[in-house]
Amino acid sequence: MGNVLIRFAAISLLIVGLSSARAAEKFGFFEKEIRPLFHEHCYKCHSAEAEKLKGGLLLDSRQGWATGGDSGPAIVPGDVEGSLLLRAVSYEDDDLQMPPKYKLADHERTALAKWVETGAPDPRVSQVVGKGMGIDLANGREFWSFRPVAHHAVPKMNPALGQEENLDAIDWFILARLARENVKPVGLAKPETLLRRLYFDLIGLPPTPEQIDDFLADPSPEAYARLVDRLLGSPQFGETWGRHWLDVARFAESSGGGRSLMFKDAWRFRDYVISAFNEDKPFNQFIREQIAGDLLPAASREQRNEQLIAAGFLALGPHNYELQDKELLRMEVVDEQIVTIGRAFLGMTLGCVRCHEHKFDPIPMDDYYALAGILRSTQSLVPGNVSGWVAHDLLLEPALKKAIDKHAAKTKEANVALKAAKKELLEVEAIQGGEGIVVDNLQAEKVGDWMKSTSNKTFFGDNYIHDKGEGKGQKKVIFTAELPEAGEYEVRFGYTAGANRAQKAPVTIGHTNGPTTILINQREKPPINNNFKVLGRFQFSSGKAVVSISNDHTSDVVIADAVVFVPIAELKKDSDLEQRLAKLRGEVDRLVKRVDALKKTKPTDLPKAMSVQDEKETGDWHVHIRGEIRNKGAIVPRGFLQVASKAKTVAQPTIAAGRSGRLELAEWVASGGNPLTSRVMVNRIWHHLLGHGLVRTPDNFGKTGELPSHAGLLDWLAWRFVDDSWSVKSMIRQIVLSRAYRRASTGESAGQTDDPENRLLWRSNRKHLSAEAIRDSILSVSGQLDMQQGGPTIRKFSQYDLGYEFDTIRRSVYVPFFRNSMLEVLEVFNAANPNVTTGRRTETTLPTQALYMLNSPFMNAEARRAGGRLARVDTTDTLRVRMAYRLVLGREPRADEAGLALEFLGQTDTGDWTALLHSLFACVDFRTLD
Amino acid sequence: MNPRKLSRRKLLKTTACGFGSLAMAGLCSRGGVATGSTTLLQRSPMFVPRAKRVIFIFMAGGPSHVDTYDYKPELIRNHDRDYDFTGVRFGTFGKKSKRKLMKPLWGFKQYGQCSQHVSDLFPYTAQMVDDLCFIKSMQTEGVAHGPSTLFMHTGATNLMRPSMGSWVTYGLGTENQNLPGFVVLQPSASKGGPRNYSSAFLPAIHQGTAIGKAGQPADEATLRNAVNASLSRAEQKRNFRFLQRLNRTQLGNRRQDDQLDAVVESYELAWRMQMNAPQLFDLSGEPKFVRERYGIGSKATDEFGKQCLMGRRLAEAGVRFIQLNYADESATPRWDQHSNMPKHMDHARATDKPVAGLLADLKERGLLEETLVWWSGEFGRTPFSQNGSGRDHNPRGFTTWLAGAGVRPGFSYGSTDEIGDTAVVNPVHMHDLHATILHILGMDHERLTYRHAGLDVRLTGVAGEVVHGILS
Repeated sequence: MGNVLIRFAAISLLIVGLSSARAAEKFGFFEKEIRPLFHEHCYKCHSAEAEKLKGGLLLDSRQGWATGGDSGPAIVPGDVEGSLLLRAVSYEDDDLQMPPKYKLADHERTALAKWVETGAPDPRVSQVVGKGMGIDLANGREFWSFRPVAHHAVPKMNPALGQEENLDAIDWFILARLARENVKPVGLAKPETLLRRLYFDLIGLPPTPEQIDDFLADPSPEAYARLVDRLLGSPQFGETWGRHWLDVARFAESSGGGRSLMFKDAWRFRDYVISAFNEDKPFNQFIREQIAGDLLPAASREQRNEQLIAAGFLALGPHNYELQDKELLRMEVVDEQIVTIGRAFLGMTLGCVRCHEHKFDPIPMDDYYALAGILRSTQSLVPGNVSGWVAHDLLLEPALKKAIDKHAAKTKEANVALKAAKKELLEVEAIQGGEGIVVDNLQAEKVGDWMKSTSNKTFFGDNYIHDKGEGKGQKKVIFTAELPEAGEYEVRFGYTAGANRAQKAPVTIGHTNGPTTILINQREKPPINNNFKVLGRFQFSSGKAVVSISNDHTSDVVIADAVVFVPIAELKKDSDLEQRLAKLRGEVDRLVKRVDALKKTKPTDLPKAMSVQDEKETGDWHVHIRGEIRNKGAIVPRGFLQVASKAKTVAQPTIAAGRSGRLELAEWVASGGNPLTSRVMVNRIWHHLLGHGLVRTPDNFGKTGELPSHAGLLDWLAWRFVDDSWSVKSMIRQIVLSRAYRRASTGESAGQTDDPENRLLWRSNRKHLSAEAIRDSILSVSGQLDMQQGGPTIRKFSQYDLGYEFDTIRRSVYVPFFRNSMLEVLEVFNAANPNVTTGRRTETTLPTQALYMLNSPFMNAEARRAGGRLARVDTTDTLRVRMAYRLVLGREPRADEAGLALEFLGQTDTGDWTALLHSLFACVDFRTLD
Repeated sequence: MNPRKLSRRKLLKTTACGFGSLAMAGLCSRGGVATGSTTLLQRSPMFVPRAKRVIFIFMAGGPSHVDTYDYKPELIRNHDRDYDFTGVRFGTFGKKSKRKLMKPLWGFKQYGQCSQHVSDLFPYTAQMVDDLCFIKSMQTEGVAHGPSTLFMHTGATNLMRPSMGSWVTYGLGTENQNLPGFVVLQPSASKGGPRNYSSAFLPAIHQGTAIGKAGQPADEATLRNAVNASLSRAEQKRNFRFLQRLNRTQLGNRRQDDQLDAVVESYELAWRMQMNAPQLFDLSGEPKFVRERYGIGSKATDEFGKQCLMGRRLAEAGVRFIQLNYADESATPRWDQHSNMPKHMDHARATDKPVAGLLADLKERGLLEETLVWWSGEFGRTPFSQNGSGRDHNPRGFTTWLAGAGVRPGFSYGSTDEIGDTAVVNPVHMHDLHATILHILGMDHERLTYRHAGLDVRLTGVAGEVVHGILS
């Protein structure tokens, strides 16, 4: 580049000094040949007049081509080889062809080459064109989310805002703001409302009538705090909050894309996440394990396994493993990982930086490719036509390992014996009805190109051969036997059947009474042991006997395996053989049983985890110009987002040779000094509890995201989170104990008009019940819900997820979660789209949901079960209605509701409890969490 | 309180069933929207549209263009000769190798006033050539079925992007408020499956509504959950009335709230849909001559004929984007003949008469003037042979056709090289075709955007040019 500029400067100086006559001489060629050519073929996209400038390249001035576009200088005067423009017009490079839709004529390309060779004299001078303004990092770091997390003082003030006392920090922040805006908060929610809210928020299930009674008997703050602790300690807590993280981790158990391949071991990651929340694993450790678990030191076997499973975070993304351009696939995987890490942990949108610098946030392309270098140094794919993913063996408990090994050795032994016995049996069966003379295809003479195959397993001997369905009329296989004596023989022909086979394959038998040709249908299974078909009985003289097959007049595949000549006499004396067969069959039978028995006593599958590992070759990577994988720019050192790092030394750590840099990345993300990580996570927690985040775009903390409504509070929480060892449970506890959480979701306040969106938190936000909560609570009311925890749940494992039939009654978090087929209720009520990080689920109210509620088989069946349960209770209708309300809505029916219900029941013949329950499941109050 | 809300509130309190045009407003998620809509209410196009709606006939697996519409005498002349091709698959990527050319397995004849060539595979469609606008220079991305199928539907091989039908309803809404705006008949769950009609990050209301699934008999295809298998009509009505009374009681005990009103409204709309939709998919009322025209009742054409007839009924009912699928659930989709090209005959037989019947019926009813019909596979097939009598995938050059509103009838645009391998004259990339279809519907593909993850995302990515040459 520097060199080019110097040369370019030299030419300019020359031009300035030229007389007009010499100029005409100098530029004559350009004016005559080149300018019209540019005008005709290039200006449409590469000039100041272009409707849309392509690739940033201008060809209407010297500066334009000298500076060049996104790919650098287009022309290097004097250097035909080194000029991109000439390479492009040559059409030799598949990825760089200009003009894009046709090739220039030969004489035009020759002219261009000549012009460049003679120094590319060009009289067109224009103003210098800039290539974008660049990114100002120092200025960028001033944006709120990139500033260090500040430890704000709690704005304590005179609690004259009402009668509220014993306020904690959260409320001080919120009340101070409300006071400033002159909005009064509403009062606290009714105990029964608060109770239902808390149960669903913490464990995703409704309180039982007994739990309601207990709480209503003592709704004191102390009792409430004890209940919070109990729910935080319940195993259902991890199932609910783990699900939130699975949304963020775009967790699924299949690949999506074209063929949506099932991920057999993905459930381990799901269980890992649920346990992490139940155990209150420090969130920074949780991050480290997910980005670099495979690289972390482990104190125990269990920890090692857990960490390997955690790194599955990087592997579980949606991918088209069948993509044929494997270099592209590799970058797509890297891109998906960058995008997911960006959104999940940092609240940053990084996908756009693959092709150009971020249009809104101070993130240059170098930052993206600094991360790409780390993830390209990480192996996520295993090569293949349909690529695979990296599966790690998990470490086993020594005793179990020994048992598995021993069992595997036994199984192997049994299988070897079975294989040998089967082979012998087949051989004997082949001569069933008499010992014959066998000619295998190996001994036969082949005319033309025949291909060996073992794909169809019923072949005789070592293999069979086929004509590939090609070269019709040109191929033949000639089987020649040496017959010991003259006489009548039964001739059998061997082939393997299949749907693509010839239906009229001609087999010719050269016997004493002239040749006979028989057309055989090779789609039909050969009757004798799936190996042989009897062609008939023929007379042969002693010595050579020939049977041949050709592919004349066939269009499909012709198969040849073997030919057998059985003397007629043999067909009669077969009692020995029968005995041998019986023995062999007994042996095979015994071994099959043994193998089956071994299968049943198998201790466990050798457990594996979907994960990643460092590549053998690690190193920095190129920028891909405009994101095109084969358009490589400068190499950039591996590192992190500069704008979220205090200094260049933080953003670009030293990475030891042979290492990917993933461990360093994990440390950088999980650091308390990272301005984004802790803010993003406390905001996620806030979002789930209060219905909206303090930043209402939980996955986007950049300029296109929303600003925090309470920046001081957000920082205070983030600071507190880090200070409290990144404990998620403590953070949740802190929030649910606050008045902000406990307020009613409606009530009289100036907020009604001044702040209808409730940005100031003068009330609580009403939430939609999640898809999981809808299903789980209906199943719990109907008495069906299976509370078993963990473990694999894909019942019928198959290669692809399509057409999977869901048939589980376990909690929704354990329902197999695929990318191309989803349990209907989850899909209809907006479970997270597992293709992207989802911090905030879509909230919709659609007629398809109403149709599901009204008519789906699930709703009909569960309403019937729940109605049946209720009808069996021996009590009055009034009390039953009360029970129904408490079970489904967690509250007493109001008088008008009870009246309505009784009136409805009166209209039905037998008191239709099913219909009542069905309507309660469908009603507004059930689908809403106040 | 503003008067609109008041009247709406009043309606809710007083009427049992019957919301009419109010219904869809506010039924959807809130969120940042750039140029389209979160509702299905009809919206004006950006400029005068040439078509109101689209019927997209998807031929899954990749029909061979050189055996159907792209007549190549040089290919016939050079049958069985070796030819150098550059590989595009795993293992052969970028490598040159010699492959044997294979002539089309069927003869070609010229048809109509436009004298277009059509092979003997499509004798019925051939009668309609004067209404078709061929693009014989298509190019697309991806080489395997999954990526290319996704690319054709969403403009991306791997990224999560909204389907074209979702973009269209996002931009235009729908004409019939009792039906979904984007309907997909009997889609396959493989090769991208639901992603092919997903709204991705667009508001969920723009999601394609799948009617039935591939492999299921067309007679069973209807709107999901529109029929209650457990309850009689009378019981359903009784329960529905009770539910809505219950809902209104609960609303009455609360402060007025649009979001909660929307739940009640959604039940009203669902009720209307369930009254309307099943009849729409019930073809038994269609007269015999109409059914016969689509090939219904004849073994080979019965299934796809039913889909095509439903397509017409949906178009008539004002559905904005209708997709018909000739697809199945196997790993090698229907038109995917890698080793047995003669099998193309079965697929041609199954689809030819129904498609021609649909075109003729639309034309007679005047619907073709306002409907754009698009017939395409995800790619074409190679002019060279594979495994004897098969052909491999070809994304470098293939044929698609459009018919009806907005396109030049009896016309052919662009061409492949002399053997039908690569588009060389006026190549039309799938992005270009997407841009053109949006243009025909009155939308500028560069302005139909949605802000997602910091980007103003378009159907056409950063590419696409309207093919003005095919516009009428």
